[in-house]
Amino acid sequence: MVNRNAFLLLAIFCILFMFSSASHATSNPPGEEVSVCMGCHENREMSLTFKNGEKLSLYVDNHSLLGSAHKNLGCSGCHGFSAGDHPTKQFKDRRSLIISISDACKKCHTFKKGIHLRMVNMLKQVVCADCHGSHAIKPVKEAGESCFGCHKYGFSLSFKDGGRQSLEIEEEALKSSVHSKLRCADCHFGFSSKEHPERNFPDKRNFTIVTSETCRRCHFDKYTKTLEGIHFNMLLKGNLKAPVCVDCHGAHAIESGRKEKIQSARRRQTCHQDIYAIYAQSVHGKALLSMHNQDVPVCSDCHRAHDISDPRMADFRNDIPQMCSNCHANEELMRRYGLSTAVLQSYLEDFHGVTVSYYRKQKNTMRHIAVCTDCHGIHDITRTKGPEASIVKANLIKRCRKCHVGASDNFPDSWISHYEPNFKRAPLVYAINLIYTIFIPFMIVGLVLQIILHIWRYAVNR
Amino acid sequence: MIETVKKNGEYIRRFSAWRIIEHQANAIAFVVLVVTGLSQKFHDSTWAEWIIINLGGIDNARLIHRYTGLVLGFLTVQHILLSSYGVIMKKWMPSMVINIKDFTDAIDNLKYYFGITDNPARCDRYDYKQKFEYWGVVVGGILMILTGLTLWFPTKVFHLIPFLPGQIIPAAKALHTNEAMLAFLVIVIWHIYNSVFSPDVFPLDTSIFTGWISKERMIHEHPLEYERLTGVKLKGHHEANTVEETQEEDIKSAS
Repeated sequence: MVNRNAFLLLAIFCILFMFSSASHATSNPPGEEVSVCMGCHENREMSLTFKNGEKLSLYVDNHSLLGSAHKNLGCSGCHGFSAGDHPTKQFKDRRSLIISISDACKKCHTFKKGIHLRMVNMLKQVVCADCHGSHAIKPVKEAGESCFGCHKYGFSLSFKDGGRQSLEIEEEALKSSVHSKLRCADCHFGFSSKEHPERNFPDKRNFTIVTSETCRRCHFDKYTKTLEGIHFNMLLKGNLKAPVCVDCHGAHAIESGRKEKIQSARRRQTCHQDIYAIYAQSVHGKALLSMHNQDVPVCSDCHRAHDISDPRMADFRNDIPQMCSNCHANEELMRRYGLSTAVLQSYLEDFHGVTVSYYRKQKNTMRHIAVCTDCHGIHDITRTKGPEASIVKANLIKRCRKCHVGASDNFPDSWISHYEPNFKRAPLVYAINLIYTIFIPFMIVGLVLQIILHIWRYAVNR
Repeated sequence: MIETVKKNGEYIRRFSAWRIIEHQANAIAFVVLVVTGLSQKFHDSTWAEWIIINLGGIDNARLIHRYTGLVLGFLTVQHILLSSYGVIMKKWMPSMVINIKDFTDAIDNLKYYFGITDNPARCDRYDYKQKFEYWGVVVGGILMILTGLTLWFPTKVFHLIPFLPGQIIPAAKALHTNEAMLAFLVIVIWHIYNSVFSPDVFPLDTSIFTGWISKERMIHEHPLEYERLTGVKLKGHHEANTVEETQEEDIKSAS
């Protein structure tokens, strides 16, 4: 009995309470309105079903609401609903509900200029809630990255020349890039939802070049290197086709430059297609592309990545022996392929090697001296053993004749192919060296002994 | 007529003007060749780098080396030709020809140095040490000319002698560089000792500069030539040290 009475009492109390709050809804402070709405919307089970079958939970988290920028607006401020006036609306899907509710924002937030004006007018598919959230709404500067709110849609930027650049960013690509920890504004300096300057580019290329300049804010070392590079100098001279950072590294899907050699090589295909084709047929290229060998050099290993110098210049030529020896004088690396590491030293000891070494020191090169690539090929470097050996041999005499006009067919043999002279390879050279290594000390010791004896005799006689 | 003695026989003419010029030219060319050549041989070392850079670079160093080589080559060739002509046609005395006596002299001198015999070998105009150096310069010079030209004109060599194997070029380089090292060491150690530091001549053997040699040195070092020139029969070299005083009297009266 007591139970029943108690229940009735509670029910009456509840009904009275509801009526009293409903009648005061419009005039009461928002906090009260919220608590009325929350009476139902705190229920986690409550949901709305759209025409397309999609379901939307009608649960509202009281805490996030109270922490939001709009905590003083109350529910009706945006939703127009109140406990007394709670129309049943039918939406096609969840998206159209969000678009519809976002219209309410314009009641307070009007835009006369800037990115919001453009978005509000142009981008019908992007609404305020996409960036700012709904109940937990916060000033954007506290809300974190909101750029994807707009930039996940395929809208585009148009240039003066009529070209277009899609502004759609794939969030996944960005997240898997080396820059996943960066915020948009770290690269797109000066951009935020508030500050979103409008810029006019004559064409897409100009846009890319200007955007690329942001990289140097972090990668200043690389940037200074590019200042010495041929590509930057081409750009300075007005060749806009010269590549900038993003042309090689990509923009949002940026990868570590060192990680993937094949990717690195393939990227060069874009501009240097013919050279890439030759490289792909070379001993290095084949090993990389068909065997995924990571030891072989790709473009940037020889030409360097940022301070790429003009390979037609003498300085580049004279550095080639050192360049090749980065790998070919590396004992551990060469052992894997059964190659000799004596190639550098034997070259440097030879006539050409001495000349090139001095040209490097003198900085006033007069002539083109034969370096590694002259005999072995440049991008078409071939094996010197096996079937390709005859090709190397045939190329050799042609190269010799470039400087040694009228060289006879046996002239290339005067280069004993990086071998230390031995009895089998170059018996004459070997014999001469052997005779003198015995004869010179023998002679000198003999003469010195005679001198000592002479002095000794002189001293004794006195 | 060139004087053969002066100061009353105290000095005897040893070298003609041309021989003096030849020696000086040879010496200068040799020094230049050594400086430019050894710095190429030891191209890695810092002193070589300093020399080559200061000569205006490797190309300049080679240019100087080659043209100086031509000078030395010319000196060598003219010497061989003129001397051969003189010896064969003009009946000059072939004083530089090596003979059995040179070997016995060397052995005699060794015996003397070790104290086995009491007196050194009695030599003629050129002793075996001088002949050794002379032929070293002549034969070495010919080797250096041939190998040097081979290295200077590597393609021409194959045109001249088409059947030569390719390794003739590195072989020429090996020969050139090794022979140069040998010549350099012999000159620095042996020639400089014998003409500067040897107690016989210290502080300097001036005969190749003045053309004159003192009578004492002639008697001491070239007794056979002295006897032939003056007609004075020196007493047996065995007593050379003890009879020097009386000998000097003899020479004065003879001249």
